[in-house]
Amino acid sequence: MKTDIKSRFSFPGGTHPPQNKNLTSESPIQPGSAVKQVAIMLSQHTGAACRPTVKKADTVQAGQKIGDSDSFVSAPVHSPVNGKVKEISLQSHAVLGRSMAIVIEADAENNPPKEPACDKFTSSFDAEKYSVEQICAAIRDGGLVGMGGAGFPTSVKVEPNPKLPKETLIINGCECEPYITCDYRIMLEWTHQIIAGVKLAKKVTGCKKVFIAIEDNKPQAIETLSQVLRNDDIEVVVVKTKYPQGGERQLIKAVLNKTVRTGGIPPMIGVVVLNVATAAAIAEAVVCGQPLTHRVVTVTGEAIANPGNYYTAIGTTIGELVEFCGGITQKAAKVILGGPMMGIAAADLTTPITKTTGAITILTKQQIGDAKFTGRQTACIRCGRCVEACPENLVPTTIAHAVKNNLLDVAKNYYLTACIECGCCSYVCPANIELTGYIKTGKILLAKQEKRMPA
Amino acid sequence: MFKNITVSHAPHISERLSTRMVMLDVIIALAPAMIAAGYYFRIHAAVLIATCVISAVATEWLCNVIRKKPNSIGDFSAVITGIILALSVPPILPVWAAIIGSVFAIAIGKMVFGGLGANIFNPAMVGRAFLTASFGMLMTTWTVPATIDPFMSVISAENKVDARTQATPLALSKEAVKTKQGADTVNSQLEAMFEGEVGGCLGETSALALLLGGAYLLIRRTITLHIPLAVITSASVFAAIMCLINKEAYISPLSHLFSGGLLIGAFFIATDPVTAPLSKKGMWIFGIGVGTITMLIRVFGEYPEGVMYSILLMNGVTPLIDRLCKPIPAGGKPNV
Repeated sequence: MKTDIKSRFSFPGGTHPPQNKNLTSESPIQPGSAVKQVAIMLSQHTGAACRPTVKKADTVQAGQKIGDSDSFVSAPVHSPVNGKVKEISLQSHAVLGRSMAIVIEADAENNPPKEPACDKFTSSFDAEKYSVEQICAAIRDGGLVGMGGAGFPTSVKVEPNPKLPKETLIINGCECEPYITCDYRIMLEWTHQIIAGVKLAKKVTGCKKVFIAIEDNKPQAIETLSQVLRNDDIEVVVVKTKYPQGGERQLIKAVLNKTVRTGGIPPMIGVVVLNVATAAAIAEAVVCGQPLTHRVVTVTGEAIANPGNYYTAIGTTIGELVEFCGGITQKAAKVILGGPMMGIAAADLTTPITKTTGAITILTKQQIGDAKFTGRQTACIRCGRCVEACPENLVPTTIAHAVKNNLLDVAKNYYLTACIECGCCSYVCPANIELTGYIKTGKILLAKQEKRMPA
Repeated sequence: MFKNITVSHAPHISERLSTRMVMLDVIIALAPAMIAAGYYFRIHAAVLIATCVISAVATEWLCNVIRKKPNSIGDFSAVITGIILALSVPPILPVWAAIIGSVFAIAIGKMVFGGLGANIFNPAMVGRAFLTASFGMLMTTWTVPATIDPFMSVISAENKVDARTQATPLALSKEAVKTKQGADTVNSQLEAMFEGEVGGCLGETSALALLLGGAYLLIRRTITLHIPLAVITSASVFAAIMCLINKEAYISPLSHLFSGGLLIGAFFIATDPVTAPLSKKGMWIFGIGVGTITMLIRVFGEYPEGVMYSILLMNGVTPLIDRLCKPIPAGGKPNV
């Protein structure tokens, strides 16, 4: 197959940040560090937080459920190791500041590193052996959430819903965020597991049509998957390399040329989007009965001694993982959970990784750039670059300046809530204005205001 | 090793553009017009451009000092205002008038609104409007290019024009409208107008140089095609209709395009992002407004040229256009 595939499937707007994926794209998935202690956040997903089902000093097994919730939109959490509950306390959380977590001290002797499940799958996998109820239960009990970043509970997405029948399943293998390569490596190395997961997801959602979308900068992944799927009714769609191609709404636009209404969700137009890593986790949960306790994390950045993709226990702290990768060789300026476009800067290296952490990116001052590093913003010259870059066709500068001047009604009038927070506007702004930051702040303020004063 | 890590909103990287780089692009794009001005008007061009730039930058610096604000001359926007003002005044404008125009442009046109990004009207056009209102005679006295008369002289101390003056193509066109004849004379000068060997403002005579600069801005994506295209198309359509009505009285669309300030206005002044609409739809409305009002003034108005007033008028309604042309989100309006 030719390696210079160019696709025209895309969406309006967007940007082209430098990819920088070559740091880790050729590095095979390796086992992560043997952890001594993990901190499992009780809220790793969108929706209700879990209540702990274990107490301090309880002994737990690897894969044991340690937190659960009765809410529909939620996902249980599990222990990745054999060990003892040390405490249930507040721990650093990248978004919430401090959040409740179950800290488990691993048993030093009885803790063999967990092997990826990819060897258990072959091309002859048959999803018909499993009933819809069985798959649903396994997904819910396995604590599966969207592993691409948003962390929406997978059970809610895939469960049959007579009101919103699903027709199309899109598997998201775009990985448009710079630096990150965990999904790419999974597609190359866990191909059969992903396809098994896709087949199970197809069965449980009842979708007729299944697409696997991959950006045209990953020819090897496209080739591998197309080879394996040549006799299947699952179609590999090559989409244009453009940020944020992996955004759910942008991907649906690119693949199906359909638009999800502002404020709506994909099931409203009969579409389900799942990340490739989620698909792999579905296969593992359903076939092997293994809950989501480990994931592949790309540890990357020019400052890291040994960048790579590591199969790591969820709950490992950033500091431990960075140390495992040989530490840093240059002075780090920012430690980011995720990639540089949408990732969250961590203030504390004891922050544990969660189910949604695809990468730890360490940036130096040089990579961030002087202007961004010092945060010096100049006046908006209304050049319109943010308007051009916005994939949702908003006017970021007007919204951001409305928020800045405390005019939330104006911001709302300019569709503040339609923002997907991709960061394109801030990325292109020549005045270096934190447009996305203002808009995110405005969203929080507006939500608070509306809760206090119902219309 | 992890001392002093910083925390901020995503994204953590940027395209590394800066306002200064955007402004530098405009200055580079203005270079052909400045070179053409130097070729046709020799020392006058150098003196006027230098005077306007220096006084514009000095005014901005002084305003910052008075207002106790951080120095903003580093963004080079005042340099552009100076250059555009210099290019849009007659070549033999006295230096003192150029200084007054530049000071007014920056102080009243920009700084009183709060500096770059906050002004409603294009500062250079504010300065030029002030000069036109105050020194009408000086602003309408045109000299022939030095390539025709090497001894083009300056205005003497008594404000007496001592130069060999020449009616601009637009003045001739106005004459043609009044007398219902003579449009051919203007149309026959088309080649000279394209190259710039005619009377007119310092930087607007050479259509060729302006088109080169405009192309550079478009290639660098500093401006989009919307506004220039809208201005040029609407003006051409207007001119073509008038031409169809009476060929003797109204000059051809091409003559309109290559004469006066239409091209510098379309590519450099109307596209000033601060004073133009943000949305594409708004840009179309803005550009069509500029083109149409220019032609209304040129054809029916008392002045031979209308680019400045049309741009200032449309600048004034830009906030309204922006409000009218609020883009609808990609997913449609939310159901509230």
